[in-house]
Amino acid sequence: MSAPTTTHGDESHAPAHVAPAHPSVGSLGVDSRKLGVWAFIGSETLFFAALIVIYLINVPVNMARADAQDPKELLGIAFTSILAAILLASSLTMVLALAASKRKDMRQFTIWHLATIGLGLCFLGGQVYEFTHLYEEGLTLSSSMLGTTFFVLTGFHGTHVAIGATWLFATWLKVRKYPDSPENLMDIELAGLYWHFVDLVWVAIFTLIYLI
Amino acid sequence: MAVIERPHGGVATPQAPVSKEYMGWESWLTTVDHKKIGIIYMVAAFIFFLIGGIEALLMRMQLGTPNNTFLSPDVYNQMMTMHGTTMVFLVVMPFNVGLANYIVPLMIGARDMAFPRLNALSVWLFLFGGLMLYFSFMAGGAPAMGWFAYAPLTMKQFSPTFGVDYWIIGLLLTGVASIAGALNFVVTILNMRAPGMSINRMPLFVWMTLITAFLLVFAFPSLTAGQIALFFDRHFETRFFNPAQGGDAILWMHLFWFFGHPEVYILILPTMGIISEVLSTFSRKPIFGYAFVAYSGVSIGFLGFLVWSHHMFAVGLGPLANAFFAAASMLIAIPTGVKIFNWIATMYLGTIDLKTPMYYGIAFVAMFIIGGISGITLASPPVNLQQTDSYYVVAHFHYVLFGGAIFGIFAGLYYWFPKFTGRMYNELLGKIQFWLTFISFNVTFFPMHITGTNGMPRRIYTYEAGMGWDLYNLISTIGSFAMAVGVLVLVWNAITSVRNGAIAPNDPWDGASLEWAVPSPPPAHNFDKTPIVYSRRPLWDIKYPDLDAAHEIGTRAISRRERMEQEMAKMGEQLGEDHIHLPSQTYNPLIVAFGLLVAGFGAIYIATPFAFIASLIGLFIMGVGIVGWVRDSHKDSPYLVSH
Amino acid sequence: MRIPRHLAKLLKAGLLAAAMLSLAACASAVGLDGPASTLNSAGDQARRIEELMAPIFWMGLVVFIIVEGFLVYTVIRFRKRANSGIPAQVHGNTRIEIAWTIAPALIAVVVSVLTFRVQAANAVLPADSLYITAVGHQWWFEFQYPEQGADGQPLLTASDMYIPVGKSVIITLKGADVVHNFWVPKLAGKTYMIPGKVNYMSFTAEQPGVYLAACSEFCGEAHALMRFRVIALPADEFAKWLSQAKVPPVAAAGAGVLNGDPTRGQALFADPKKQCASCHAVDGTAAKGIVGPNLTYFGSRLTLAGGILPNTPENLSRWLHNPGAMKPGNLMGKVITPTWVQGNLTEQDIADIVAYLESMKISVDLPVASK
Repeated sequence: MSAPTTTHGDESHAPAHVAPAHPSVGSLGVDSRKLGVWAFIGSETLFFAALIVIYLINVPVNMARADAQDPKELLGIAFTSILAAILLASSLTMVLALAASKRKDMRQFTIWHLATIGLGLCFLGGQVYEFTHLYEEGLTLSSSMLGTTFFVLTGFHGTHVAIGATWLFATWLKVRKYPDSPENLMDIELAGLYWHFVDLVWVAIFTLIYLI
Repeated sequence: MAVIERPHGGVATPQAPVSKEYMGWESWLTTVDHKKIGIIYMVAAFIFFLIGGIEALLMRMQLGTPNNTFLSPDVYNQMMTMHGTTMVFLVVMPFNVGLANYIVPLMIGARDMAFPRLNALSVWLFLFGGLMLYFSFMAGGAPAMGWFAYAPLTMKQFSPTFGVDYWIIGLLLTGVASIAGALNFVVTILNMRAPGMSINRMPLFVWMTLITAFLLVFAFPSLTAGQIALFFDRHFETRFFNPAQGGDAILWMHLFWFFGHPEVYILILPTMGIISEVLSTFSRKPIFGYAFVAYSGVSIGFLGFLVWSHHMFAVGLGPLANAFFAAASMLIAIPTGVKIFNWIATMYLGTIDLKTPMYYGIAFVAMFIIGGISGITLASPPVNLQQTDSYYVVAHFHYVLFGGAIFGIFAGLYYWFPKFTGRMYNELLGKIQFWLTFISFNVTFFPMHITGTNGMPRRIYTYEAGMGWDLYNLISTIGSFAMAVGVLVLVWNAITSVRNGAIAPNDPWDGASLEWAVPSPPPAHNFDKTPIVYSRRPLWDIKYPDLDAAHEIGTRAISRRERMEQEMAKMGEQLGEDHIHLPSQTYNPLIVAFGLLVAGFGAIYIATPFAFIASLIGLFIMGVGIVGWVRDSHKDSPYLVSH
Repeated sequence: MRIPRHLAKLLKAGLLAAAMLSLAACASAVGLDGPASTLNSAGDQARRIEELMAPIFWMGLVVFIIVEGFLVYTVIRFRKRANSGIPAQVHGNTRIEIAWTIAPALIAVVVSVLTFRVQAANAVLPADSLYITAVGHQWWFEFQYPEQGADGQPLLTASDMYIPVGKSVIITLKGADVVHNFWVPKLAGKTYMIPGKVNYMSFTAEQPGVYLAACSEFCGEAHALMRFRVIALPADEFAKWLSQAKVPPVAAAGAGVLNGDPTRGQALFADPKKQCASCHAVDGTAAKGIVGPNLTYFGSRLTLAGGILPNTPENLSRWLHNPGAMKPGNLMGKVITPTWVQGNLTEQDIADIVAYLESMKISVDLPVASK
């Protein structure tokens, strides 16, 4: 049997049609890029889960050692609460930025979007300050199991905040350069999605490390 | 109603790309075509297969006789580590990814992967990661700690060369490639299916690729986290895995095997998909128990996350933990058994056309049965304590990963060779290669069950005479060289067939899935008009409208035409997409990957001033690539193209 | 008809014995009775594992024959012939598929039940046991008898682990540097020796013998050269060994092997300039190094260099000339290089040290080395 060379239908009668309005909305009814970012967030969740588990199982290990450093003494809740508030506020400004862009209110969008990035940078600055402070107190990567697990976990979260802020900034540049692109809304939504995820990770870290 | 693609050269031709068109070798560096990317994956994986094979031969040379001094222990340990790492990360995984890259979009009736540029980034990152790992040979020696890299042997104190660092950074690059590739497959398969290609009509190869992609997305982060912690231990004096300072060697094992066991299924599930296609095509029957085969794949994937500690029965986790992981491991026998029975039932009452891919398909089943049975013994903790870390395990996983995964890959390679190249391979050479490989595979690996039971530990570079191992090791060594001859025959067959083979028709095997509807090799845009699918075997709907539609044993059959009409009535009018929009070629993914490579070298030499410069240059190159990438994506946006 | 209980028990025992015997017959036919074979066990743990392997093996063989047979039959019977057309397009039958989902499940259940019984039996640490601590080093095994030395101090030895037959021993397993794996195939399964974690295992040797054992987890460059022996002595011989081992050795007077002088050798061994004592100890002398194996009663060790060479004066002399060449990567070879030897030891020095080490002997009747 040779390959089919003709279709048995009468395709010439099929109506001419136009490309769908949202070419990237596929067979699942979702935008492909959104699906991709969600899957990526799934993967990132497992990455942070691994780092958080490493931290948690080492809490008793740290305390049982002669060189133990007590997180309750070293890690101040007051300052990091402010950091948490900053990051949560940035999630709010992100929502406002997206809402503004949906209204096509570019002025409001710019304000809220840059505010989000600004708050993210404030968080990073605060983290740098906290790290320096802890370092002076004697908590370093190699000073104890606490130092090892704490800095790698929060440091990698900080790195993700930096990546998120860069992503937001790049999105802003792109929107400025191509203000008419119909993809802008999705670009902003995706950067925002990732930003919310990074915030959520902080909520988990803050709860598990500082509060409990 | 348009059902399927018109012959190539018909109405629709792709639009001329907006930007410059690259020709010749540049067209490979700039490609975003899933087929070309698939070929790069496969060719690179095959070259790594040859290298990993040479490493294996060197080891077999050394082990051929007792007290041999052909290789020094350090060189042997490097070979052992690189052989394992290469075969897992640089051969089986990327070859499966390459096959899927080429075939999956065709099978689901798509024009390309969901993210063609990300796809290009993945292939370059994989290639650079592999090359970086191999660069370690020229930078003070390859890693010599085994592919599983148990701490604290990986600490600087015990592994002072840069080998471990090349291993970490090289695999991190391929890891990023794998996760990016997996995201791409998830989105492509869920979101790019042609009209009518519902989840339960997808070919089983697509099913298994989808499950594999999910496994990659969720399993790889554990390895990544572990590798980062290991890197910090080596360079920033952290203590994660350093027991001398409160760290935990067992934590590494957990992180590694939480990735490592799903990894086993990442290697084997796609090849199970391949042979599901091959057995069905060459038996001229639909797969038996489609849903059972698909869902058993899902349950294998799911259980794969619950059994990692069966690699750690000897660690002393306690009888209760061992019993739990043993029970979960035994459960895997069920879906695996189901698959094997269904494959045999697919052939039963069929018309079995014994072409080379079918030989490999059948051999896969036959060898997988052996690997499965030896797997049951290993799942039993008491027995495992005698067999783990002995040659019995080496025998077991080579039956699964060579007799399984590699045979499956060979089946797929011969099966789709005409599609990839537009030429037929030489059937006689194919069969010669099959028998050479099949026999010598068993000659090589079956005796290892015996040496293992006779108490021979794994990963030893030499052994004493008179332990009852001598003869069987010699037999294994002879077998391995015969296998190498088989591989040479394959290479010869591939090269001569690509050059002089008979021209391949679109559909040489009377296939039923959509890749056979398009020319061999397919045009860049795959389908002039996206096909519309009414059954699991869309091509047979067209070729054999009067044949019985697939039905349960003992039920009355209707014809394919009749069923198609029923389905059409259910689905309503569907329109094939004849608007062709392909992204333009671009260097930018390659540039981004190169930037990461340069930054990666900086990371390896983090203690030197070179690190800072290399990281800066790397990040700069990456930045240039990303900016270009954003431009590309804007330029190519499907929203902007006028209709 | 109900089978009476004792008859059922007998039947079961008979079946098990038959399974074991036939497996043993097959095993020896293919040479599976090597000196480190996991079959032909000589300890209770290994025997229970073997008794579990046998039924799993036979079940596996039956599955193998049925499934492979059916596969081969299918391929031959339904291969394409000149007149074959398109076969019936059946794609399944739920009942059949459920049936063959249950079949492997049943096998898994049977194997699990058998497994858990053996696992429970093998996990027991009997109360009245002899405790021995085994420590894995790169690349040698150290053994400590916690209270059996002089004055209740630990008795330290290496490479040969002496145990009594018929009495259970509990091994406390530790790793000194990297992960090692303690494996005496004829007596028991493996257990890791992990730095930072203490593991326990227990077994009883059922026959006297010298059992070959090895590290079976990759532990670095000379992993292949990290072996040891378990010497199981009848209870009275073991007591004899213990009573001699706890008394510090005395260097023999007069000429020793290789025309060396043991007394002079003892002095050289303890001489800080000759480096021996920086790493090694001999009880009752000034040599108190703890980095390398304790060499008390070295003359009775069956092997040297971590179980890789027969303990002969010639081998020991070769070793002292250039340890790095005989066991690449080992710590001693990094210090005792040929150049260092040339500058610091004369041939006579080496002969004296060899004579000294070989002169320290314990007299017990060793069992015949296994095979």
